[in-house]
Amino acid sequence: MRKIILIIIICVVSGATKTVLAQTTTDALLMSKHELCIAVVYDHGTWDHYWEGANLRVNDNIGTFTRTMAMPMLAYGITDKLNVLASLPYIATKSSGGQLVGVAGFQDFNVALKYEIFNREIGKGKLSLQGVGVFGTPASNYLSDYMPYSLGLGTTEFTLRGMAEYKLDNGFYIRSSYAYIKRGETEVERDYYYNNGSYYTTLMDVPDATNFYGTIGKWFFNYALRVEATYQSMNCLSGDDIRAYNSPQPTNKFEYEQVSFFAQYFFKTQLKGLGLLGYYSKMFDGRNMGEFANIGGGVTYQFKVINAQ
Amino acid sequence: MIMKRYSIVLYIFLLVACVIFYSCDSELPIRANYAAYTFSGIDENGGNWKPILLTSSNQIVIDEPADVNSASYKEELEALKSITANVSSAQRDAINYWTNNPILRWNEIALELAAKYNLIPGPNPDGTYTLPNAANPAGPPPFPFAHPPYTCRMLAYLSVAQFDGLVTAWNYKFNYNRPAPSSVDSNITSAYISNNIPSYPSDGAVIAVVSRDILIAMFPLEKDYLEARATEHLASLQWSGTNVTSDIEAGKFIGTEVKKIVLARAATDGMKNAQTSKAKSDSMANAAYERFGWRWENQETPQRPVGLTPLFGKVKPWSVPDITLIRPVAPPTPGSPEFEKDAQELKDVAKKLTNEQRKIANWWSDGLSTYTPPGHWNRFAKEFIIKYKFNPLRSARTFAYMNMAIMDAGISCWDAKYYYNYPRPIQTIPGFKTILGTPNFPAYTSGHSTFSAAAAEVLSYIFPAEATQCQAWAKEAAESRIYGGIHYRFDADVGNTQGKAAAQYTINIAKADGAD
Repeated sequence: MRKIILIIIICVVSGATKTVLAQTTTDALLMSKHELCIAVVYDHGTWDHYWEGANLRVNDNIGTFTRTMAMPMLAYGITDKLNVLASLPYIATKSSGGQLVGVAGFQDFNVALKYEIFNREIGKGKLSLQGVGVFGTPASNYLSDYMPYSLGLGTTEFTLRGMAEYKLDNGFYIRSSYAYIKRGETEVERDYYYNNGSYYTTLMDVPDATNFYGTIGKWFFNYALRVEATYQSMNCLSGDDIRAYNSPQPTNKFEYEQVSFFAQYFFKTQLKGLGLLGYYSKMFDGRNMGEFANIGGGVTYQFKVINAQ
Repeated sequence: MIMKRYSIVLYIFLLVACVIFYSCDSELPIRANYAAYTFSGIDENGGNWKPILLTSSNQIVIDEPADVNSASYKEELEALKSITANVSSAQRDAINYWTNNPILRWNEIALELAAKYNLIPGPNPDGTYTLPNAANPAGPPPFPFAHPPYTCRMLAYLSVAQFDGLVTAWNYKFNYNRPAPSSVDSNITSAYISNNIPSYPSDGAVIAVVSRDILIAMFPLEKDYLEARATEHLASLQWSGTNVTSDIEAGKFIGTEVKKIVLARAATDGMKNAQTSKAKSDSMANAAYERFGWRWENQETPQRPVGLTPLFGKVKPWSVPDITLIRPVAPPTPGSPEFEKDAQELKDVAKKLTNEQRKIANWWSDGLSTYTPPGHWNRFAKEFIIKYKFNPLRSARTFAYMNMAIMDAGISCWDAKYYYNYPRPIQTIPGFKTILGTPNFPAYTSGHSTFSAAAAEVLSYIFPAEATQCQAWAKEAAESRIYGGIHYRFDADVGNTQGKAAAQYTINIAKADGAD
C-alpha cells in the first residue's frame, strides 16, 4: 500500500497552447500525509504542420514551430487521501520561418486538490476513484492573442476531473479520466475582432473543453519502474475555426487526439526519494492547432516534511 | 472524524467550482449599444446642401405625394395600422435593432463584411498565388480581399451614396411636408421617438436600398445576406409605424437612382487596374531602383510576386485634383545617417518593448480579419454620431466626407509607396523580427498614419470638441507601426503630414456644401 505512495507527477505536456496541469492530476497516485514532492519537468514540443480547422497544412512563414517549457511543481499530502499540487511553467516559443518574434515567460499558475473518494480491493486488484479540481490563472501579463506564439490562453481555468484506476496485484493497471474544463474570457489588446461576426470588446470568450484520458501501464522491479501508454483527447465545446491562411485566436475550437508513452523510475535504496521520468507524445488528429510532437524529462524528489510519530 | 472534515473541504471546493462555472460568461458586445433617439437637429434646409456626385438634390425627381386626406393615403394608413397592431416579438427586435438612425447599422454591416473578407490569399501547393477575381467571386480565393485600399473605397462609395440619397430625400421631405403617419392618425404610434421630420420620401428606404446595392457590388457573395438585411430593414419601417407604403416606394426609387450614379463612378475609377501583373509591378520597382537605388521586395515564403494594388495610387480621388500634388519628398537612403537613426530606433524598441508600446501596436494593428484602419475610424465616427445625436442626413455627411478623405489619403499613400518602392525594416535590417506581420507592400509612407491623419482631420472639423482626442489617436496610430516593427519613424511622420494634406481638399468641399 505504502509503496504505491511512491509517486508522482508527470507532466506529459500536451503541447496544447495551454499547458494542462490536469495532466499531473491525471495520475491516480497520492502523496502520503505530510509528504512533499518537488519536481522539475522539461518539455520540448515542435510541429511543422498545423490544423487550420480540420485541414492539416504547412506554412513556410512559420516553418518548424518550437515550444520549450520548464515547469517546477510541488505536490503535498495534506492527508493520505487529500493532496494539493501546484505548478508554474516557464515557456519559450519560436519559429524557424517568417519574421515574427517568439516570446518567453511564465505561463499560468496552477493549483489543484486531489481527493481519493474510494479505494478497495476488488477481485485480483484494487479499484480507486478520485476527484480532482484544478484552478489555473495567468502568472504574467503575456498576450494570449499572439498565436501561435502566445504562451497560453490567458484565461482563468477551472477543471473538474473524475478518475478511476484498476490495478492488478501483478502491477498491471488501467486508468481513465474525464474532465470538464471551464474557461473564462481572455483580455486582449484590441477592442474589435471577428469571430463569425463582429465583436466590439477587448474580451474573447475562450471555449470550455472536455478532456479524456485512457492509460494502460505496468509497474516493474517491485514498483521501482512504471511504464505506460496513454490516449488523450481534448475537445472544445464551442469556438470558431482558424480562418484561411490567418493566425489562430483564443476563441478557436482547439482540439487534438494524442498518444503518449511514459516511463518513471524511483530510486529505492541509494538516492532514496529521487525519481526520473521521461516521455514522448505525438498528436495524430486535431483542429486549429499545431501537430505537436513532444519529448520531455524530469526529476522528482520526495520526502517527509514532518515525521509522523 | 478527520475523513468527514476533508469531505467537507471537498464539498466546499465543488461548490466554489459550481459558482465559478456559472459566473464567468457574459454577453460580449457585437454592435453599438444605442436606441432610437431625439436628434440634436433635423436640418430642415438639408435639401439645399450640395450632394457629392449628384448635380443637385433635384436631379432625381419623384412624384408629389398623395394628400393625407386622399382615399389612397387613407388606405395606406389603414394597412399600416393593421401592421403596427400585430407586431411580433421578432419584429420588435428588428425595430429596436434598426432604430431611427439606420446609417449606423449599415456602416456596422459594412465593417463586419470588411473583416469577414479581409483575408490574404495563401500560396497554392506549387508555391504560386491565386488572386481574388471579381469575375469569379466564389474563387477560391473568394472575392474580394478586403484589404485597407479595398475597404476605404468600399466605405467611401457606401457613404457617398447614402449622403446623396439623403440630401435628395431631405429636399422632397421639406418641400412636400407630408407628416408622419402617427401625426395624421392618433391610432398609429411610432415605435421611435418623433423628430418631426416629414415622412415622404422615407429616408430609411433610401438608406436600405443604396446600402444594400452598394454593398452587393462590393461583396457579391453576400447578395442573399444583404438582401435579407434590407428586406428586414424596409419591413421595419412599417412595423415601427414610421412610413406608409408610398413613402417607402419613393425612398426606394431615390435609392435605386442614386446607386446607379455612384456605381457608374466606381466602375470607372481605375480600381479594376490597381492589382497589376508582375511585369508591370517589376517595371515600377525597377524605375524606383534606377531613380533612387533601392527597391522593395516581399519577404514571405514563397515570395509574393506582386505587392498589394501597385496602381491604387492611380485610382481617381474624390477631392484632390492631382494626387502627385501631395506626393511627399523622397525618404532617406538606406545607410544614410538619417536612415540609420530611425533604423536604430526600431532595433532599440524591439529589444525592450514596454507593455504600453505592445498594447499600442496591437490596439491599432487592424490587420487581417479585422475592419482595417479605415474601418476603425468609421467606428469612431459612429460613436461620435451617437454621442452628438446626429440625424441620419448629418450622419451620412460625416461618413461621406471622412471616407472620401480617407480614400484620397490612401490613394496618395499608395502613390508614394509604389513611386518610392521603399523596403520594409525586415528587408533592410538583417535578422530583424517583429510583433506584427509586415504587409505586402512598400514601407514609405505608412498607410495607418495617412488614413488616420485624414480621418482625424475630418472628424476634428465635424466634432471640434473631439479634435484633441482625434489628433492624439492619429498620432498614436502612426506611432503604433514603429512599435510593431514594420515602419520607420519617417514613414509614420511623413504619412501623417500627407494624410492631413489630402483631407484638406475634402474639408474645403465640405465647408462649402451648405451644412455649416
